[in-house]
Amino acid sequence: MEKILTKKEFPSWIKNLKSFNVYGPVKKDALWEYERIQDPDKLDLNFKNTVLSPKKIIFPQREVILDFNHKKKGKPEIQEALPEETKNVIFGVRPCDARALTLTDKVFEEEPGDKYYLRRRHQTVTVGLTCSDPPSENCFCTSLGGSPHSTEGLDILMTELNHKYYVHSFTDKGRELMKAASDVFKNPSEKDKKDLKQVHKESEKKIKRQVKELSKITDKLKGMFDSPFWDEESMSCLKCGICTYLCPTCHCFDISDEVLSSSPLKGQRVRTWDTCQFPYFTMHSSGHNPRPDKSSRLRQRILHKFSYFVDNYDDYQCTGCGRCISKCPVDIDIIEVLEKVKDYE
Amino acid sequence: MNENIYLPKLAKIIKIKQEVSGSRPIKTFRTQFLESSDFSHRSGQCAMLSVLGKGEAMISISSSPLEKDYLQFSILKSGRVTTALHEMEEGDIIGIRGPYGNHFPIEKWKGKNILFIGGGIGLAPIWSVLQTARAKKADYGKLALIYGARTSNDWVFKEELQELKNEMDIHLSIDCEEEGCNEFVGFVPQNVADKKPSPKNSISITCGPPIMIKFVIEALQELGFKDEQIYTTVENKMKCGIGKCGRCNIGKHYVCKDGPVYSWAELKTLPQEY
Repeated sequence: MEKILTKKEFPSWIKNLKSFNVYGPVKKDALWEYERIQDPDKLDLNFKNTVLSPKKIIFPQREVILDFNHKKKGKPEIQEALPEETKNVIFGVRPCDARALTLTDKVFEEEPGDKYYLRRRHQTVTVGLTCSDPPSENCFCTSLGGSPHSTEGLDILMTELNHKYYVHSFTDKGRELMKAASDVFKNPSEKDKKDLKQVHKESEKKIKRQVKELSKITDKLKGMFDSPFWDEESMSCLKCGICTYLCPTCHCFDISDEVLSSSPLKGQRVRTWDTCQFPYFTMHSSGHNPRPDKSSRLRQRILHKFSYFVDNYDDYQCTGCGRCISKCPVDIDIIEVLEKVKDYE
Repeated sequence: MNENIYLPKLAKIIKIKQEVSGSRPIKTFRTQFLESSDFSHRSGQCAMLSVLGKGEAMISISSSPLEKDYLQFSILKSGRVTTALHEMEEGDIIGIRGPYGNHFPIEKWKGKNILFIGGGIGLAPIWSVLQTARAKKADYGKLALIYGARTSNDWVFKEELQELKNEMDIHLSIDCEEEGCNEFVGFVPQNVADKKPSPKNSISITCGPPIMIKFVIEALQELGFKDEQIYTTVENKMKCGIGKCGRCNIGKHYVCKDGPVYSWAELKTLPQEY
């Protein structure tokens, strides 16, 4: 379904989505974050990039997976704490972040599937927004098979055309969302369609950064596990883990118990994001650590994304959002690292 | 998909045996599910044990699948969860989920001699396959065990080993001389070199500390064992058990689902990340 929606009418669409929890970019202290929205006027589609990707709505940074309690001499009780059954919609999803969801899908859908992730994923409608201008100077989506108007992982893509949006839905979930406020949408004119094509074409040209010959890099990486390259590249790393924390494709997590009261024992089993950049991630209880230094951990990040994931899921585990580059405190630049791999002897 | 992959099933500890005391204690736990369960494992697989309030730890199942009455785990007190397990008593309840990982291809070894080589707690992961082979003795050739630990106190399954001596060749070792102990003095790889097991029609399975595994493999190769005849079982820190949490990988392999059992022919192609 392809329609036109004026910017003025956009809030009316959201107001009609009464049965949905609506999420979208909200500006806070000069930065944007995806948040649950009550007032449609708070939703700001003139955003640069959000700090975190909308992955956090599908796969929260911290979620309770089990509740347990154990009275002395009684049988312990363990209950699954599944996400509430709701209908969610996320507006303003950047195409790179939507593609990232298709990658985390591969991990959590693989048998045996992960109920928590999949329930949230299935009950969430993703409404994308074409990046008419790159939201970050480090965007490089086009090097990874994506584009500023990619539709992978999206139910709907909106593209800004001056005072209106071109709204295109590709899935049943997307069409249903548009039907919820069918009177606010108009049919596109031939000119709108022409303009859309033009904006999409222009948007690709505006992506300035790129990695060339990625498949060559992937081949090269296979022989570089024991290379001193990783020592050189990780020299400045502070081991802060921000690269993985902000990454829309990183899926690694920890499971731990949080005790709420000790007698009788009551608590929660909690899943939290974790990172391959921290030493405890892989440290055995004996103290032995298969990845003992920052060199082996940078290598893991690069190889997971550009070698192991390619072998296991036939895709790069990166969509070129550029967050890890922009926010690294010591300017470790994944594009430069990959380019250096290509030329490394 | 109705099953919750993170939900453990409750099991009662029906028996605890102190295998090793001292500063590196080992206990063997036998457990039974409280409710009937479809849990069915193969030798070499692991299970995720839960102590509520403490967390989970991946432990290899040391009982044979032929043993239908209980699941057995032999556990070195080492981290948060294993310490909590060591404080538990018979009758206490733990959570179990699994089984996880691949298994020893014991069906393919029919007619072959099997040499088991263990160090310290490393006997636990191969105890299951050893018990299966022993129970189906007619299916296999000669069975033998080379096993060592720091001291004679650190051997696990001491009583069972005494009994087994009537059934198979058992070569024990200790790292340093001890009064009253007549077993081989030296490390496990040295004992392997000393006993010179024949590679002819044989499979060897080894498990122990990473450094021991490395030198055992070298000793076996020296004796003429081919890479395909050498099996080992590796471990890495795990949280999910199903290849999603991302930490137990050796290269593109997740030990929790693609391992823990590898032939040296397979393992040597993977990066040294264990």
